Amino acid sequence: MIISPTIFIVPTGVGCEIGGFAGDSLPAAKLLASASGCLITHPNVMNGGSLTEKHKDIFYVEGYSLDRFAKGEIGLRTVKKQKLGIIFDSDINQELLIRHLQVADACVATLGIDVDSYIVTKKPLGIVIDRDSKNTNGGLIENPDTLIEAGKKLIEKGITAIAIVAKFPDDLDFDDTNSYRQGKGVDPIAGVEAIISHLVSKFLRVPCAHAPALSPIELSEKLDPRAASEEIGYTFLPSVLIGLSKAPDIIEFPIKNKSNTLHPNQVDSIVVPNGALGGECVLAGIERNLNIIAVKNENVMNVTSKNLNCPNIIEVNNYFEAAGVILSIREGISLKSIKRPLNKIQKINF
Amino acid sequence: MKLIKIDYYLDWPKSLEIENLRKYIIDNISKKGIIIRWSIVDIHDSVEANKCKKIRINAVLANQIIS
Repeated sequence: MIISPTIFIVPTGVGCEIGGFAGDSLPAAKLLASASGCLITHPNVMNGGSLTEKHKDIFYVEGYSLDRFAKGEIGLRTVKKQKLGIIFDSDINQELLIRHLQVADACVATLGIDVDSYIVTKKPLGIVIDRDSKNTNGGLIENPDTLIEAGKKLIEKGITAIAIVAKFPDDLDFDDTNSYRQGKGVDPIAGVEAIISHLVSKFLRVPCAHAPALSPIELSEKLDPRAASEEIGYTFLPSVLIGLSKAPDIIEFPIKNKSNTLHPNQVDSIVVPNGALGGECVLAGIERNLNIIAVKNENVMNVTSKNLNCPNIIEVNNYFEAAGVILSIREGISLKSIKRPLNKIQKINF
Repeated sequence: MKLIKIDYYLDWPKSLEIENLRKYIIDNISKKGIIIRWSIVDIHDSVEANKCKKIRINAVLANQIIS
C-alpha cells in the first residue's frame, strides 16, 4: 500500500492532556504510524525518560528541523545508524555525570547503539526557568555559545547526532513540579529543553535531542501514570539515545542523492492538538495546502481552527479518528463520502 | 550570543490571508533578533473587530537588535 507521510506534533510545554507528560503520546504515534505508513515526529512525542520504542515507520526529528522540513527546506534520509556524541553541561555534579555515562555504556552493551564519545561544556549552560510565563512554560539559557562550541567539537570528531544533557536547577518550584507529577500542570522545564535542542539544530544542523539532568526527588504515591516513565532510574537519557540511534540525517537542498530520502513534498498531513495550531510547522503546512488534522487534546494555548479562520482544517475528537482520516487519505477515499449528510455533487457553470 | 524572550501582540490585518501569516510574523519578529523559537499562543478579535485580530506571539531570540 502507498504510504501517506504524516507529521505528528504535540508541542512541548503547553500542558497537552495527551502528550504533555513523559512520552505519553507515544501510543498515539504508533497508531498514526500504522495508519500512515510513515510518521515524522519529534522527541517530545517519543521520549519517556527511560522508556521509548524504535519503530520502523517513525522518523525522529528535533522540532527546529521538523519545522524546516514542513517549510520545504530540508529532506530526511534514513540511516542504518548514527554515531552518537553527548554534550554534558559542566554544572552536572560528578555522581550524576557517572549515572549518565553508565546509561550510555548500557545502551552500547545492551542495545548495540553506537554511542561514541562525550564532551563537557567549558562553562555551565546556565539554565534559568522563567516563572512568570509558566502557563506556556518558559526560560532561557545564559551561555548558549558554550553549547554550540561543544557540539562543533563533537562534529569535528565525526559524531553525526548529538544528545545534550543540561543541569536543571535544584530549586524548581515544588508546587509546579508536584502538580505536573500529579497530572495537573504544565511540564515546568519543557520550554527550556526545546530552546536547547533548537539551538543545536539551528547552528549545527545535525539530529539532536535533549535530556534534563535532575537531582533525585522524593517518591510520590500520587503520581499520574502519564508522568510515571520519568520516575524510572536516575536519568532521562535512554529514550534520547534510542531515538537518536536511527534518527534520519538532515539533508540540505538541493538534494544530490535522492535515495532513502523523504522529501517534504511527499507529506500529506499534519496532526496537531486543536488549540495549538500557532506553530511554524502548522502555518507552513497551511501554506502548502496539507491536510491539517486538529485533534481534541486539551492544552493551555488558544489558537484553534475557529479563531485562525481556516475552514480547511479537519477537526477530530481523538487520535482514533485522526488515524481513520489518515487511512482514508492514504487509500484515496474522499472524506466527505464517509460523513452524513452527503450532498449531491455540484454543477459548475460557464 | 545572548538569548532573550519576547512576548507581544501583533495586529493581523483582515486583508492578510492565512497563507501569508507565517511570513508576516517572521518579518516582524526578525526585526527584533535572530529567531530561535516562536509560536502564536493566543488569538482574539481586537477592539476594532472588523479591522483585525490580535495575535499574541511568544518567541526566543538571539542577540536582540535594538530598534
